[in-house]
Amino acid sequence: MPGVETPLEKWTGKVHEVTLGGNGRKSITVGGESTLPFLSFEAPIPHPPVVAIEVLDMEPQDWSPHLVSVWGDALKDPAVWAKKAVECGADLIVLRLRSAHPEAGDTGVDHAKKAVEAVLAAVDLPLIVLGPEVEEKDNEVLVGVSDVARGQKIALGNCSEKNHRTIAAVCLSDGHVAIGKSPIEINLAKQLNILLSDVGLAPESILMDPTTGALGYGLEYSYSVMERLRIAALMGDKMTAMPMLCTVGEESWRQKESRATEGLPPLWGDHQERAILWEEITAVSLLNSGADIVVLRHPRVVERIKATIASLVG
Amino acid sequence: MALSGIEIYKFLPKTNCKKCGFPTCLAFAMKVAQKTVDIITCPDLSDESRQALESAGRPPIKLVSIGADGKKLEIGNEVVMFRHEKTFYHPPGIMRRIKDSSPAETVAQQVAEVTEFKVDRVGIELSLNGFAIENDSGDGAAFAKCVEAVMAKTDLPLVLMSSKPEAMAAALEKSAASRPLIYAATGDNWEPMAELASKHGCPLAVAEPKGLSELAALVEEVNKKGVEDIVLDPGARDLGSSLNTLTQLRRLAIKKNFQPLGYPIITFPGTNAASVDEEAVLASQQVAKYAGIIVLDNFSPALAYPLLTLRLNIYTDPQKPIQVQPGVYPIGAPKESSPLCVTTNFSLTYFSVAGELEGSGHAAWLLVCDTEGLSVLTAWAAGKFDAEKIAKNFKEFDVASKINHQRVIIPGRVAVLKGEIEEELAGWDVMVGPPDAMDIGGYLKNNWSN
Amino acid sequence: MSNFQVTFEPSGKSASVPGGTLILDAAARAGVLIDTPCGGQGRCGRCLVRVKDGEASHRDNPHLTPRQVEEGWVLSCTARVAGDLRLDVPRKRERERVVAETAASRTAQSIEGDWPRSPIIRRVFLKLTPPTLDDNANDLERLKAALAAEHQIDRLAVDLPVMRRLARDLREADWQVTLTLDMGEEEARLIDIHPGRKRGALLGAAVDIGTTNVVIQLVDLGSGKVLGQAAARNRQVSRGEDVISRIVYSERGNHLEELRKLVVETINELLSELGRKVDTDMAQVQEMVVAGNTTMTHLFLGLSPRHLRAEPYVPTAAFFPRYRAGELGVAINPLAPVYCLPAVAAYVGGDITAGVLASCLFKSDKLTLFLDVGTNGEIVLGSSDWMTTCACSAGPAFEGAGVRGGMRAMEGAIEEVKVNSKTLETTLSVIGGVPAQGICGSGMISALAEMFITGVVDRSGRIDMEFVKGRMKKRSRARRGDHGGEYVLAWARDTGLGEDIVLTEVDINNLVRTKAAIYAGEAVMARSLGISLSDVQEVLIGGAFGQHLNVEEAIQIGLLPDLPWERFKFLGNTSVRGAYNVLLSRFARAQVEEIASSLTYMELIADNTFMDELTGALFLPHTDIRNFPSVKALLEENQGERASP
Repeated sequence: MPGVETPLEKWTGKVHEVTLGGNGRKSITVGGESTLPFLSFEAPIPHPPVVAIEVLDMEPQDWSPHLVSVWGDALKDPAVWAKKAVECGADLIVLRLRSAHPEAGDTGVDHAKKAVEAVLAAVDLPLIVLGPEVEEKDNEVLVGVSDVARGQKIALGNCSEKNHRTIAAVCLSDGHVAIGKSPIEINLAKQLNILLSDVGLAPESILMDPTTGALGYGLEYSYSVMERLRIAALMGDKMTAMPMLCTVGEESWRQKESRATEGLPPLWGDHQERAILWEEITAVSLLNSGADIVVLRHPRVVERIKATIASLVG
Repeated sequence: MALSGIEIYKFLPKTNCKKCGFPTCLAFAMKVAQKTVDIITCPDLSDESRQALESAGRPPIKLVSIGADGKKLEIGNEVVMFRHEKTFYHPPGIMRRIKDSSPAETVAQQVAEVTEFKVDRVGIELSLNGFAIENDSGDGAAFAKCVEAVMAKTDLPLVLMSSKPEAMAAALEKSAASRPLIYAATGDNWEPMAELASKHGCPLAVAEPKGLSELAALVEEVNKKGVEDIVLDPGARDLGSSLNTLTQLRRLAIKKNFQPLGYPIITFPGTNAASVDEEAVLASQQVAKYAGIIVLDNFSPALAYPLLTLRLNIYTDPQKPIQVQPGVYPIGAPKESSPLCVTTNFSLTYFSVAGELEGSGHAAWLLVCDTEGLSVLTAWAAGKFDAEKIAKNFKEFDVASKINHQRVIIPGRVAVLKGEIEEELAGWDVMVGPPDAMDIGGYLKNNWSN
Repeated sequence: MSNFQVTFEPSGKSASVPGGTLILDAAARAGVLIDTPCGGQGRCGRCLVRVKDGEASHRDNPHLTPRQVEEGWVLSCTARVAGDLRLDVPRKRERERVVAETAASRTAQSIEGDWPRSPIIRRVFLKLTPPTLDDNANDLERLKAALAAEHQIDRLAVDLPVMRRLARDLREADWQVTLTLDMGEEEARLIDIHPGRKRGALLGAAVDIGTTNVVIQLVDLGSGKVLGQAAARNRQVSRGEDVISRIVYSERGNHLEELRKLVVETINELLSELGRKVDTDMAQVQEMVVAGNTTMTHLFLGLSPRHLRAEPYVPTAAFFPRYRAGELGVAINPLAPVYCLPAVAAYVGGDITAGVLASCLFKSDKLTLFLDVGTNGEIVLGSSDWMTTCACSAGPAFEGAGVRGGMRAMEGAIEEVKVNSKTLETTLSVIGGVPAQGICGSGMISALAEMFITGVVDRSGRIDMEFVKGRMKKRSRARRGDHGGEYVLAWARDTGLGEDIVLTEVDINNLVRTKAAIYAGEAVMARSLGISLSDVQEVLIGGAFGQHLNVEEAIQIGLLPDLPWERFKFLGNTSVRGAYNVLLSRFARAQVEEIASSLTYMELIADNTFMDELTGALFLPHTDIRNFPSVKALLEENQGERASP
């Protein structure tokens, strides 16, 4: 009988480890993998990917009724919402400062600080804070947030190629982790990591968001870009080896398959089931292509994805 | 191992005779390397060269087809580990499991649900590929009857599932002409199963959960019986074992060129699943990670639609320029009075324009024209982004209904189009934006007022 | 460690310093000022001194040729004291001479094609027997018979204009004539008749029709000597700067004819300029060979280029029949043949087949990369075994367009910029030594390379305001302008313009896009053949741009692959050179046709690989710096410098 030798790759690199929280708060470490996602036959998986739940600093205006009904009144208060997210099994919280957007309230740095302080006080999970993704406002509110969260080692985003110096600088001085977000493209992701490193951030202080394409809306681009980033990292490229964060919930629930509730063909199937599967399948696909943090919205998806990760890690 | 264009070129006559239809031998060699043309198209190839090239070009995973002509499902013949390296060629067949122990009405309904399920997505019809009929009753006659009943309703490819050679023989009597996949040869029954496969010329699944060495040994035995069209079932039934085992099989075939395991793989994501969600998650993993046939225990449109969409995504050719769906995109929360900008549907162009708009805090409408994924200047140079095409996109996406003004901002690099667009779109004021996306914020600040 | 005495001549100043001291520091100690435009980083090669006596340790340096090293030249910023030393500090003129010598050794190289001289135009003298009543064969028969008897030319075609003058010309010349024959086809064609034995050169013209410039060489077909050369801007430029704009322009009304006339006028003006220069009637020019890109050739012949720009990018013809000068409106002998060099594809034209011919790439046994960087960038990769080619739309940035202070390489153009690593102040070289008017392509590459290496711009090409302001306390050269950040290369008072000459972030973006398009073309072509760019054994650079290009800086910004410098050769205008070769030799003509049919054309936008490579190249020097080991090393060295100013 021919013995089949287990086909192992000789990878030389590994994903950088990034730790959030600590100092009294729960801490979470992601990264550290020295093989492709979940290939436990090849190398141990030091830190399984984690699940974050997205919390907004204002009541969301355009969310699907399926999300609104499951979260209920928690949506009105980020601290309550975050607590409920803990009950749902979140490993960490992503707080999106939506209200700072000029067209969504244009709140300022004080509002942002209060929201962050409230969430930090309400839960003991590590925190990621994302700005409204308008440069001036991002720089304004995130600098304030960085200050109030000093010592808590949160992650701040998003840094872009054009607008990264301010956020990177406060992460550097306050000991936080910076998130770099680049359009779905391997070179752009790497370029931003280089720029952040050149500003002085250590690899263990950088997360990357290579931009999530939802199922049916560019998922294959994200899938391959992330797979390539991970392979490059394993082949020794330190500038592609930052752990990856994917905003799965936001992207999935934005699409008409999830958002629209009427006027859809009956063959699309039950609306709620489909919407949930849309988020689940996006999540599992991106976990298999290298995501270290998936940011989700629906509690049932959180439960399923946590079980999936547990099963994959074995 | 695939040969590069230069390596293939070395075997060619180097006469640039053009008889193959390509301008030079090297151009031909590069097309052969891309597998878009067959090496035998060269009329002056020596026999040795042909043999050398054909053996080098043998697919590491065998192409297996299931089903009758005209309704064939082709699986296998993949050449890479990762889709970005080339592309994944043959999408896995997704099938629904039917049990011969179910009442006839249930079977009929289950078949009908699948055959009636057709969803259009971006012009492509999504549907399932066939049925796996399981001999749950253990009875040969019941099995054959059920197979017949299904065949009366559909001509989609079938997998016949039974561990009993007699039951399989009975079912094959009724169905061999439509070339079902026989599932499965095991350590206990492989001899009669292989005989059945040989006799009827049907593909045969080989199931061996003990390990890959044992699986390879069994494949070799079956092979010796003359069965060439083989599908593997390594028995991995949950997320972790499926990912690890199927990855190993793919690596052995592609990277080690290990022929005993160079066949497509069949999976059963529902076997150990406690819920539909769990089955869906495993099935979706298997779409990307190396299944050739996926047999679903549960079927519903709400599951099938996302799963088939995923298959469509993963099996899209990644070498095509990355495109954004043409259309009118709201950036921020635009109002009727917000500015309207025009750009092309090359993804990075879109991202940089949309990103700059978003980053500047201006809400706007962005008309993304279909330029087949080319950037602004390239598309203009190739005649894919001219006044006529832009005007066509205006009408197609009913731009006028979204806004209450008639002003449109075009990229500064195609400033020359201003006059022509104003001719095409009577009454519109065409504003020339900045040549560089990074100046958009400043431009809107200085030039846009409601 | 013991001290050594270092003496600087001619001043005679000296200092006692420990072994291992940089000569530059020793000079400072002695009170001798040595100019260091790059800030003592070994990048500019301007601080050279010559060792007359004693020991100095030095490391290999690209700014000195082996001969100069032998002569004792060292760079004072890298050489260290290793014993008592007597050094000569050269005067400015001497220093510039040495610098120029180094530059020349790295640029002035050309490859001579070794073609047996065999022009297709022949001149033969005939002494005819005048007709008599007994011998009353007609004039043409008489001519043909003599031609056959004396020159074994059996078949002769005579066009009507010549036929009409034949009787008179023969008699006025008293039956002794010199015939000019076009031997390019099966039968000889009589294109000119001169009375008596015609002396003087048989003339031909080699023409390069560039998108921006037209160059003509007047050639003595007998000796091969270039009697004169003239160049001017292609008058079509006013109708669009690049080929695409011109194609688009040609598509309306009678613009095609307008463009045709504009280029013919440009050629005719140059011809008459040459006529004056060498005091010859241009009607005596008997052949013209034209090299131009496919669009220029189409426009010159009056063929519509419309289909060149749209899929599937098909030219009217790639091999062009010969036409007569008169049909084309070119002011030479109207019957003179005009031959346009064959094209390969819509964006790889006769200028490139000319380049492959002139560079001798087609018979090289080395893996060779040929670049022609003009408004378009065309690339050829290959050797005698196989050759591939592609075109990338580089854009006109390197020709001075699309950049705010951009201009062509002419008097007043900044052609080299040095940025001092410590002070970030600039030192400029301006063509003609006059106050700067603007900056040309090589100056931009130089400026960008220096700004990048010194940390003024980051790897994405953005100016690091904080860093510059931190360094330049008094008056920062970095500031915010209308187009984002900008860097002042020359203050208004130092220019001939009365305003600051700056490089803006938008300019930098343009430059980076241009260099990225070219590098991506190189990389994709190599990759699709399964070759690494580091395997390239020789890089030949054609195009007018090439002569001024500094390889070191072009590598630093990622325009050229990071290969040892001795692998680069500059060939100057290979397009006109190729036309010249064809003018002089029918063998060269056969060869260029062979080249055109064996070059394998690759369409870059056909797949995603190009976009992938392009995005990777849109960074300084490249996203994957492992492809640029020398730049990586330099950056790491400077990083240390930056940390400790």
